Amino acid sequence: MEVDEHVKTFVPRSLVLVGCASLFFASSALAAENSNSFWPLSGEYTADATYVGEGDVERNPRKKVSDFDEIDSDIRLVLTPRTKFGVLRLGAEWERFSFGLPTGAALPNTLQSFSTIIGLDMQFSDSIIVRAETQPGLYNSGLGHLFWDNFNMPFLIGGTYIYSPNLQLVLGVSVDVERKYPVLPAVGVRWKIAPQWLLDAVLPTPRLQYELTRDVSLYAGATVRDATFRVDDDFGVSHGIPRLNHAVLTYTEIRTGAGFDWKISPIVTFTGEVGYQPYREFDFYRAEVRYNQSVGAPYGTISLHGAF
Amino acid sequence: MNTKICKHQTSLLLMKSSALNLPRQFPRYACGWLVLVSLLFVGLTIARADAVSELASFSIFDKVDLAQLAKSDVKTAHGPPMRTSRFLAVQSCYVAPGAPAQQMEALRRWDPTTHRELKVFLHTDLSSSPSPANFEKLKNAPDNSPVRSFVAATQKLSPDLQISKDEAKKFSAGGGGGGTMPAPVATFWADVLTSRVKSFVSGGMSAEPPYDHAGPSIRASDEVNGLLREQEKIRRQFSGFLGATAIGHGAGSLRPELYWELLDVDDQGVVTLGASYNRGGAGSTYQAADVLYYASGGYYVALTLYQLWPVTVEGKPSTLVWRGDMISAASLGSLHGVERLGSESVMMKNITKAVTLFRRDSGGR
Repeated sequence: MEVDEHVKTFVPRSLVLVGCASLFFASSALAAENSNSFWPLSGEYTADATYVGEGDVERNPRKKVSDFDEIDSDIRLVLTPRTKFGVLRLGAEWERFSFGLPTGAALPNTLQSFSTIIGLDMQFSDSIIVRAETQPGLYNSGLGHLFWDNFNMPFLIGGTYIYSPNLQLVLGVSVDVERKYPVLPAVGVRWKIAPQWLLDAVLPTPRLQYELTRDVSLYAGATVRDATFRVDDDFGVSHGIPRLNHAVLTYTEIRTGAGFDWKISPIVTFTGEVGYQPYREFDFYRAEVRYNQSVGAPYGTISLHGAF
Repeated sequence: MNTKICKHQTSLLLMKSSALNLPRQFPRYACGWLVLVSLLFVGLTIARADAVSELASFSIFDKVDLAQLAKSDVKTAHGPPMRTSRFLAVQSCYVAPGAPAQQMEALRRWDPTTHRELKVFLHTDLSSSPSPANFEKLKNAPDNSPVRSFVAATQKLSPDLQISKDEAKKFSAGGGGGGTMPAPVATFWADVLTSRVKSFVSGGMSAEPPYDHAGPSIRASDEVNGLLREQEKIRRQFSGFLGATAIGHGAGSLRPELYWELLDVDDQGVVTLGASYNRGGAGSTYQAADVLYYASGGYYVALTLYQLWPVTVEGKPSTLVWRGDMISAASLGSLHGVERLGSESVMMKNITKAVTLFRRDSGGR
């Protein structure tokens, strides 16, 4: 065992912040039934928090990190003004993965990013819509170490082919020069199988959805999270693996679960989801240090999101 | 109103004639045929230029190459962005063979129910004094999921139904009848539709009862006026013509061709009432309008405007057609960003499909 002392580091881990942001979004949204008369801009927002129960990862059978939990928080606001060229996407996102690691684990307690969002949705024809979006920002392992060498600018280009109102095909490519695999292609399909059934098999949240009522939908699906961060200059030395100083870490997790969307108002939707996280990987790929999940964990997510 | 539109178009023609500016010293008797041919040629060119420049003056299509357009499919584009989120507009243009009058007649005669993909289940023309018997076909509505949804929504007087409070009170679930459309449901809608057609004939769209059965009161006339107000160039282009119709206000001087339909809107059966108008203008041009002034659900109102100009393409008489489709629907209000782009794309695709089928049926393609 690499770690034998299970002392959890306690941090408020952003739940309070996410809660406050959610309240802000909800109150302003509920105050205005018709957003256009209240707020001249259109946009979309997300504020969500996920708790993942205790799981294990291992580098090899002798180097294990056991029984650590995780709290993820994500706040995202994107304004979507209409222009001559299409729908602009201008906004910001704060994302944080916080792990309740035992002391001495050669993994960062926190991975977080502050990024801006700059993109454009363009209508190329009556069948093709293309999105180009970049998220320049700081991707690192803590609030106290914001340096320009944490800067990264992942981007994506994706196209939707509208075959019919009930069937759309999606093809995209995600580019992150710091990632282990810098270019990742993806395909997806959005198919309204029946009036109440929708297969929305598009990353990062492929789902099969059933519309229970006009305001409530049930779904089963997955969430794929993948991001690249740079750890601190002395991270390696302080964790017993010097080559991890200032190293790049690609963090990936996959969750599978079921949940519901409750449309509280035209611009506020509350989502609750529970499930199991079968895959997680911390990959310092340049330093060839990789921790794969050995024991999965249950999780729960709450989210407020919508468009105005 | 007739006088106004004629004057406007006549003044345009007069201006173009003076622009010919033939040299005065040119001996007309010496080259009669040449002058005649030249005049014809210039006249045809000007007819083309007039049509294209007039199209550019009010539509989204500021540059159109007629020869290229004649060889291609319908050209479609989303309309100008509108402030009201429940409004959406798409414009299209195409060139069809034959004169505008022929195209107008083909449009009038076209039956969309022959194309299943257009999802129009029933279509019946109406007289100006209809009775519930004109809606008899409702009893024989096809047995499918949208129609069953429509029947279920009626039987429980769903808040999604766009009817007035007074109309809702008239529904009686009692009585027998099975089949896809039980007798009480068919009778209820026959009465509602008959009454609404009569209101339209006598007092135009402004006489239509509001949709206030559940939720805020919505008037179809306010919606159509809002759609036109937010597309000022189109409103100006059609103001004279629309003033003579019942679209957006009281009964007009033009006589409408009335109809009703049962169709599928987003997997829900919807009964709708429509009225078509057309009027010829100077230079063999036409303006036409098709308004769906009542819908039991799915959308509040839909308006399609047409402008037809005579043009000559490769020596053949043809028609340049501009079509503007505009719709007001509650569901559009909840679409933002890329979702709105997507809904525009779907509307553009549907219009392209409808125009393509019409052109195929009318021998235009």
